[in-house]
Amino acid sequence: MVNKETIFQVLGTIPDPEMPISITDLGLIEHVHIDDTTIQVTVLPTFIGCFALPVIAKEIEQKLSELSGVSSVEVNFINDPPWSTDRISDAGKASLAEHGISVPEGSSPCTSSTESGDVELRTSAISCPWCQSRETTLTSPFGPTRCKSIHFCNACRQPFERMKKV
Amino acid sequence: MSELEKNFHAPMMNVLLCVADDKLFLGHRNSDWTGIAPILEADIAFSSLAQDDIAHSSAFYELISSVTGQNPDQIAFSRQINEYRCADIVTKSDQFNWAAAIARQFYCNVYDYIRLQSLSNSTWTPLANLAKRICAEQAIHVDHVTSWIEHLGQGTEDSKNRIQHALDEYAPFASMLNESPEGIEKLFDGGVLINEGCLFTAWKEHVIQIVNKSGLTVSIEPCSVVGGRNGKHDEDFTRSLAELQEVFLTDPAAAW
Repeated sequence: MVNKETIFQVLGTIPDPEMPISITDLGLIEHVHIDDTTIQVTVLPTFIGCFALPVIAKEIEQKLSELSGVSSVEVNFINDPPWSTDRISDAGKASLAEHGISVPEGSSPCTSSTESGDVELRTSAISCPWCQSRETTLTSPFGPTRCKSIHFCNACRQPFERMKKV
Repeated sequence: MSELEKNFHAPMMNVLLCVADDKLFLGHRNSDWTGIAPILEADIAFSSLAQDDIAHSSAFYELISSVTGQNPDQIAFSRQINEYRCADIVTKSDQFNWAAAIARQFYCNVYDYIRLQSLSNSTWTPLANLAKRICAEQAIHVDHVTSWIEHLGQGTEDSKNRIQHALDEYAPFASMLNESPEGIEKLFDGGVLINEGCLFTAWKEHVIQIVNKSGLTVSIEPCSVVGGRNGKHDEDFTRSLAELQEVFLTDPAAAW
């Protein structure tokens, strides 16, 4: 019978369709349940109704079905507990930073008692993933994907992206 | 509580439809700006706002579906006019006037945020969790539109006049966001929703604070007419609904 370790290894090879990070490092996998030859994977969407979800589900189904001893794969999406930027692993953060995508520090408004009206975008000095300078400005709170904003570093004169703090 | 008691179904579905319909139609109106907004960042922003709103509406239609068993697409696109529960401001065309788009967005986003905060205290956990999660995304919308109100209010004489005019023009329709959904008292009495006092007061205070800080003024009166929340819609709604349904009705059973 297939074990959880093997399944997580396979899941770790699946990249997020929109970012240079695996779905496990992004913290999308909430739960894996094995019932003989049937595997159920419970996934948390980053943003509600993210358009990459069907692609992720298909990829999980395909990759896990290739394992011996697996007859069917079910992928469910749930919003409880909510995904938050706290779930991104250190390895994941490093991989994102290498590609010029920074990740917010501190706990998200979803998992802490912080007033979620406190949006960090226009209020705090965000550090540049290239040179770590805090001399940065917000270009736009809306970027190439729903979960990222666009910034510019005035020190190294480079644009960068940032995961929105949710 | 993860299961909603049967006697709360009807009023709760009414409340959920108010949220979902507001977001579906506002998202649709915002998508009008895709490709033609004044600057590239604004274009990406309005397209993203539209995506967010429609994704949020979809999550609420799915929550309704989890209770009633109806297909979420059918709920969204194939009701009768008087079964839709949005406030009609979300269907008002801005006539491609940027100030009008910002004013409409501002009133609706602030209201949505306050309403979601309130729903996130529901004792029905699937709703509370969804509302709390969407609140974090909605806070970014409010922050963004607030920055536009400030920019326009503190910009040139021309930008100030335009946003002031748009705020005044939409104010009466914005009040109608606050019309009570039918049966909501039953949910308060049953402890399913928490009555934290008047959403209208909280919304009005928030709106006035940002407007005044931006050097603008606004006069907001409580809503005293029966409107969209109770299924009574105007021509703008009817026109928007026809646009939204145009593709769906060519083959209502199609899988997308």
